[in-house]
Amino acid sequence: MRVVRLLVWAGGGALCAGMALALQPVDQPAIVKHRAIIGLTLLFVGLTIGVIVWDRRPDNRIGILLTAWPLVSIVPDLRWIFWNHALPVTLGFATIELFAPVFVHLILAYPTGRLQTRLDRLFVAFAYAFAAAYGLLFLLFFDTRYPDGRYWLECGDCALPITHIAWYDVHRISHVFDWLALPLALTFLALLARKLVHASPGGRRIVLPLSAAAFLVAGQFVAQIVLYGSSGVNTMTNTKWFWITSVAGLLVPVVLGVGLLRARSGRSAVADLVVELERTPPGRVREALARTLGDPSLELALWLPERSSYVDSHGRPLEFPSSSAERAVTVLGPPEAPVAALLHDPVLLERRGLLEAAGAAARLALENERLQAELRAQLAELRASRTRIVQAGDEERKRLERNLHDGAQQRLLSLGLALQIARSQLGADANGTSELLGEAEDELRAALDELRELARGIHPAILSDQGLGAALRSLGERSSVPVTIVVDADERLAESVEAAAYFLVSESLANCVKYAQASKVRVSITRQDGNLVVEVDDNGIGGATLEHGSGLRGLTDRVQALDGRFEIESTPGDGTHIHAEIPCGS
Amino acid sequence: MWDDEVVPTTALIVDDHPSFRRFARKLLESAGYVVVGDAEDGASALTAVRALRPDVVLLDVVLPDMTGFDVARELAEQEERPLVVLTSSRTAADLGTLVHTEDATGFISKRDLTVAALAALVSEAA
Repeated sequence: MRVVRLLVWAGGGALCAGMALALQPVDQPAIVKHRAIIGLTLLFVGLTIGVIVWDRRPDNRIGILLTAWPLVSIVPDLRWIFWNHALPVTLGFATIELFAPVFVHLILAYPTGRLQTRLDRLFVAFAYAFAAAYGLLFLLFFDTRYPDGRYWLECGDCALPITHIAWYDVHRISHVFDWLALPLALTFLALLARKLVHASPGGRRIVLPLSAAAFLVAGQFVAQIVLYGSSGVNTMTNTKWFWITSVAGLLVPVVLGVGLLRARSGRSAVADLVVELERTPPGRVREALARTLGDPSLELALWLPERSSYVDSHGRPLEFPSSSAERAVTVLGPPEAPVAALLHDPVLLERRGLLEAAGAAARLALENERLQAELRAQLAELRASRTRIVQAGDEERKRLERNLHDGAQQRLLSLGLALQIARSQLGADANGTSELLGEAEDELRAALDELRELARGIHPAILSDQGLGAALRSLGERSSVPVTIVVDADERLAESVEAAAYFLVSESLANCVKYAQASKVRVSITRQDGNLVVEVDDNGIGGATLEHGSGLRGLTDRVQALDGRFEIESTPGDGTHIHAEIPCGS
Repeated sequence: MWDDEVVPTTALIVDDHPSFRRFARKLLESAGYVVVGDAEDGASALTAVRALRPDVVLLDVVLPDMTGFDVARELAEQEERPLVVLTSSRTAADLGTLVHTEDATGFISKRDLTVAALAALVSEAA
């Protein structure tokens, strides 16, 4: 492919040189020849930049378009210089207005090489069709005679295109075409403005210089038509317009070439980023990168090698989309061990240098961020597993309680009935055996009570059957300290929440009896802002702490496993006040 | 407890534990009840009551298919409602307010189930 580009470049150069040489014997004023040579030189400069861009970015159509533009601007001039040769004249007419559609195609497709919107594609297609129709008009019906029938060239036929079929005065029609060029140029300017408005800030920064040059080119074209009529001004004789046109035309390849070079550097923005990252707290690297690259919509995905998956900065798993027309994906770090991936505006791919440099600069911060994300993910997992452990514990307690109830307890109850029957059947006089049986029954009752107490401590059946309110009231009734129970949330809640609240109250009441020497206790259960609020206040001696095996420590864990909060206030002499908040959904 | 002229009191025992049914039957029989049958769940209890028309139903609160309270409610809607004595291996405190139902004559925890306690409830209701 490089050979092709070299041939195009050399061919274009030869064409420019050949035309400059061929110009010398032509009967034209010196100033015209002089300016024609300047024009050819500038076009060759444009062609050279175009070939360089094409060489640097062979996969991007921009290089080809930028190479084609000067070429299709030169070729039409063949028909002036070699006016008595059919082939150059044919070529000249065939490409007569082709520079215009190639130009709008180039500008609107910059920088990706692809036309982004349907409207752009339609417009460019129409521009090509328009130029082809214009050229066809001359190819088929070019008239070399004056209106009075005289030829304006010495030989009438020799300046005709190969394809010529009839003589018509096509200049009138071509005037109409010239006037149509005005609305087309204005449409192009509108499309360009639209492209700028819709670009991301970073994308706009990239397309703005070339767009400005394009505005100048199209703007001077419009100005010429407005000021001088449909065929414009003759730049060969008008000095001011000659320079305006030449400079505007040269600006396009120059700006584009500079843009290409800048895409390789972007060093100052990266330097700013390095300084900024120093001050960037973990979790904010995305914002810093978005600012540097000028794409606020930039998304960051961190790669966790252990999980072989991407997560966001909170450690939440992320489904990473593949590249599309609207979003591009750039993976930072080596492909076999990526650090992170950026999802961004595809225009930024044109500044791959900046993208890669920024990615490299942010590598350390991203590593840090990744560790943080990993930590967060582990924390979330730990939390979930803690909750699961508490829930599994509750399930196990329930199962134990059921087993005790259905097994040993039932057998002991049956045994009690058997003893009772035995005693009644024995009659009154049985050498004291009846009393012995009575004692056995009493003993059995005591065993049953202990067993029931044990089962209840493991998991109260009333809690599963009737909910927190009923379970707490039952608890209060059995307590040896007078308890006031206010339950403001009598609807059923999640099992784990009910169990945590129940055991919190039951442990607190047990402490009141065992340590606090309280004479009254108040228990209150309310719902506030999605939390179940449990409060236990006694008037005992206070001084309770979480440290000294009061059983409250385990309850703290239980409450925290549900993402709840637990506080104990127990000043000596001022009673104990327990306050817990457990998230309970609504 | 009752005169010889009176037809013996018939009873139905509803409980899902076979050992309890067996000993409860012996206990009630020792006290002069005629145990006309037993049932191991709520549905068969309802069928048995319709078929056997017992005077007293000793009804466990916890049954595999429905609660004893539900059975008591259905029995209370019948024309000839038997005396229903609820019982449970749990205590009244464990069962909360549920035991104070209008649908039953009373509640005796299995721990405290004696002939005397049962007779007291039955005579109170009669």
